[in-house]
Amino acid sequence: MSALLDQAKQVVALAKKKGAADARATAYSSREVELTWRDGKVEKVSEATTRGASVALYVEGRYSSVSTSDLRPEALEKFLEESISMAKTLAKDPYRTLPDPKMYEGRAQLDLALFDPKYETVTADLRRKVAKEIEDGARSVKGAESILSVEAGVSDTKSQSATATSNGFEGEREDTQFWLSGSVSCKDKDGRRPEEYDVMGGHFFSELGSASELGKRASERTIGTLGAAKLKSDVFPLVIENRAGGRMLRNLLGALTGRALQQKQSFLEGKVGKEIASKLLTLTDDPHLAKGLASRLYDTDGFATKKRVVIEKGVLKLFYIDDYYAKKMKVNPTTGMTTNLVLSGGKKNLTELMKDIKNGILVTGFLGGNSNSTTGAFSAGIQGYHIVNGTRAEPIAEMNISGNLSDFWKKLTAVGSDPWVYSSTRTPTLVFDGIQIAGL
Amino acid sequence: MHRRDFLQAGLGASIAVIGCTPPDTIPKPVTAQTPPPVPKAEPPAPTPAKITYFAKFGIDAAMLSQTLTAALSKGGDYADVFIQHKVSRVMALEDGEVNRAYASVELGAGVRVVKGDQTGYAYTEDLTLDALTNAAKTAAAIADGPATPGPQSFRADPGPAGAFPDRYRLVRPWEEVKPAEKLPLLTSLNERTYKVDNRIKKVSLNLSDEYGAVLIADSLGRLVEDLQPMTYLGLSCVAEDKGQRQQNGYAVAGRQGFDFYNDERMGRLVREAVARTTILFEAAQPPAGEMQVVMAAGASGILLHEAMGHGMEADFNRKNISIYSDKIGKPVANSAVTIIDDGTRMGDRGAINVDDEGNVAQKTTLVEKGILATYLHDSISAKHYKLQTTGSGRRESYKFAPLPRMRSTYMANGPSKKEEIIASVKKGIYCSNFTNGQVKIGAGDFTFYVKNGYLIEDGKLTRPITDVNIIGNGPKVLEKVDMVADDLAFDEGGWNCGKDGQSVPVSLGMPTVRVAQITVGGKKA
Repeated sequence: MSALLDQAKQVVALAKKKGAADARATAYSSREVELTWRDGKVEKVSEATTRGASVALYVEGRYSSVSTSDLRPEALEKFLEESISMAKTLAKDPYRTLPDPKMYEGRAQLDLALFDPKYETVTADLRRKVAKEIEDGARSVKGAESILSVEAGVSDTKSQSATATSNGFEGEREDTQFWLSGSVSCKDKDGRRPEEYDVMGGHFFSELGSASELGKRASERTIGTLGAAKLKSDVFPLVIENRAGGRMLRNLLGALTGRALQQKQSFLEGKVGKEIASKLLTLTDDPHLAKGLASRLYDTDGFATKKRVVIEKGVLKLFYIDDYYAKKMKVNPTTGMTTNLVLSGGKKNLTELMKDIKNGILVTGFLGGNSNSTTGAFSAGIQGYHIVNGTRAEPIAEMNISGNLSDFWKKLTAVGSDPWVYSSTRTPTLVFDGIQIAGL
Repeated sequence: MHRRDFLQAGLGASIAVIGCTPPDTIPKPVTAQTPPPVPKAEPPAPTPAKITYFAKFGIDAAMLSQTLTAALSKGGDYADVFIQHKVSRVMALEDGEVNRAYASVELGAGVRVVKGDQTGYAYTEDLTLDALTNAAKTAAAIADGPATPGPQSFRADPGPAGAFPDRYRLVRPWEEVKPAEKLPLLTSLNERTYKVDNRIKKVSLNLSDEYGAVLIADSLGRLVEDLQPMTYLGLSCVAEDKGQRQQNGYAVAGRQGFDFYNDERMGRLVREAVARTTILFEAAQPPAGEMQVVMAAGASGILLHEAMGHGMEADFNRKNISIYSDKIGKPVANSAVTIIDDGTRMGDRGAINVDDEGNVAQKTTLVEKGILATYLHDSISAKHYKLQTTGSGRRESYKFAPLPRMRSTYMANGPSKKEEIIASVKKGIYCSNFTNGQVKIGAGDFTFYVKNGYLIEDGKLTRPITDVNIIGNGPKVLEKVDMVADDLAFDEGGWNCGKDGQSVPVSLGMPTVRVAQITVGGKKA
């Protein structure tokens, strides 16, 4: 048993001793190092090992959830006493109980491959070397003379956490993550200084792609936006680059939570088993993907995770309902947590998908915007390129997309073969038809 | 990493996890013992620093001196220690019951070492001498030379008498407020909300409060402690009418105590939340395209925050990557426009006595009649530009090094009247409430999301609008702000500003203004 699990169990025992009927405690510790490099030298290094604990308290039919980074024994004891007395002032909530331990059962016996045993070999010198490679890559592209500044980021974390409950749950997880980023600012003719970036990351340092290529892509992204202008407002076919698509998907997922459903804030209420999107949309939540950024064996309630189909050929299959809102709505829980979101891919990549489009828009990024989970209305800023006769043409900026998610996802006409793997939302290129865009 | 800084209304944000320490160990706020600031011609004589708040955590001057000496052991130019204790609590109501509470305690220390324009940073949750000096040695590695001496003693700077501001005057500080006192506030608001309109079907409320302190000690021998209260109350409701549902809300926030929640404010909270929700039954997304936009007095300050505020934070300019780099003394806006960023507004969510580098926060005029007057500075950028800091060095917590940040950003009044501005617009929209915004610092493109507003047709407000994003380019839009009214108002909601992964509380203000042309997202024109 690790020291953290031991600590979590001690916190549970202490909470019970101080008057909680039940408790769930998580103890965590994490080492985080971040190097920022700019224009040939280190700009900032931040390095720390951080720790803390959080506890859910079930006291006389009442509930509170607390966390602290002050783990001095007397301070922790007083904190729990105070938190329990705070809980006692609240109204009772019959739906706040620890999950049925049956939900903990069936945890997959898998090595998710989330921990790099070579973590210690990533040294300060190596970080600097990689940062310099990113910058050198960025400055090696055609058009580099317009570059004002290059920033490179190299960061890594090693995180450990352990959770225990008073009804028998125990879980531990450990992962490492490494992230590289390059941001490039260029000077445009009109005085604007656009900055774009590229990023990649994963659990294993040796599996990251080339730092130099990352730098090049960041430069090409920025240089590509020079001279961006808006087009006249119109209805266009829309191609959303794999990296940007997660944003539209998360708008949809906002309406799929148990809370949204129970609080009458989901435009998808009553839609399970019904078509909410084009037949081309099949969305799977896969917690067991090896090396997946959001892979996990148990969720926040302690439920054993499993692969689930969220949307199958456009038909909604489930809501994300955690233990509490399931009890409140008197339905079976699913899980309260999204993990790796996988869109079953098509056969074509971005370039191939653009070929069929005469006059459209390629979205490479969203800016601001929001969506309304109660009605499905959404609106957001976009940037990217005009697509003319099947190829990427001039850059566009300062435009908006608007609509309603229930119409929008029905207009999906193609799904690419190229998922963006540097996010838990692994969207491929997505193509939509007939989307209102605002510009001039 | 990527500079797309954003602003978010606290409403609808996920509930922070929260905590408490025993009330008997919490001292009275220092601010209550400090007289209001008196202007002084002469700098005060150095006052030896006394550690008041953090003494109970075992912090003394000798430890700080040793920590800073370790921080400079590799020859940094400057070092500081930032110690924070923050207790945050949330009580929430859902489905008629106050049946959940959250609490969090943040306790830790960050050590920063500056060498030229390079920064080393490390932090720890363990406030022992060993842990502090280890963090200091880690941060020290940014430099690579012989040790520079650390301070042997500390002076109170700003001094306790006169120079130390007193911007958060609480009648009922949160450490004295028992959880049981907060419950009736929430249950009565819940009942009142249902009574206003029978279409209301769901109400949720979040009351959060924070107390605690920060201590900043630096290698120049300056030491300051500041007690920093904060509170926020948000009301969200769902209404149902003829099978349609709408959700919206209202929030109030400030560096205030329990006394902040008086009848008048609570009445407004309920009224506004219900009105902003039920009007949505008549609302639609407006037509798409460029048009005239009238920004209502109050929260429209989001336009300033995004269109120019971030771009005028000096770090971006020092690095030459802001659209406002090299623009000091030059016109950046219509001559009707004067823009201020102000840390001095009493009890304001964006107010601070001292920033997170220990400097007195100031009222800073960024744009004077269209001319860019100054950037927002922290100590690093101030040194780079050979200027005084504006007291804008802020951080989310001990886990982060400070950065130049906004506080309360607003536009000064102009000569026009609100009615005259609306009447001047033949076809456009009027925007009054917002949920969030974002900006790209270098390109200057920014957006904000409109939750409530109206179409303007032939000089009159007509159909309500909602859920539409507006996008523009900072300098271009500031040039097109061509009418400014005389009705400056501040938004009392709880705004959070994000930059480089750090969130800090800010506020916004604006008189009614007209923007001659900007792109409105929306439906087919």
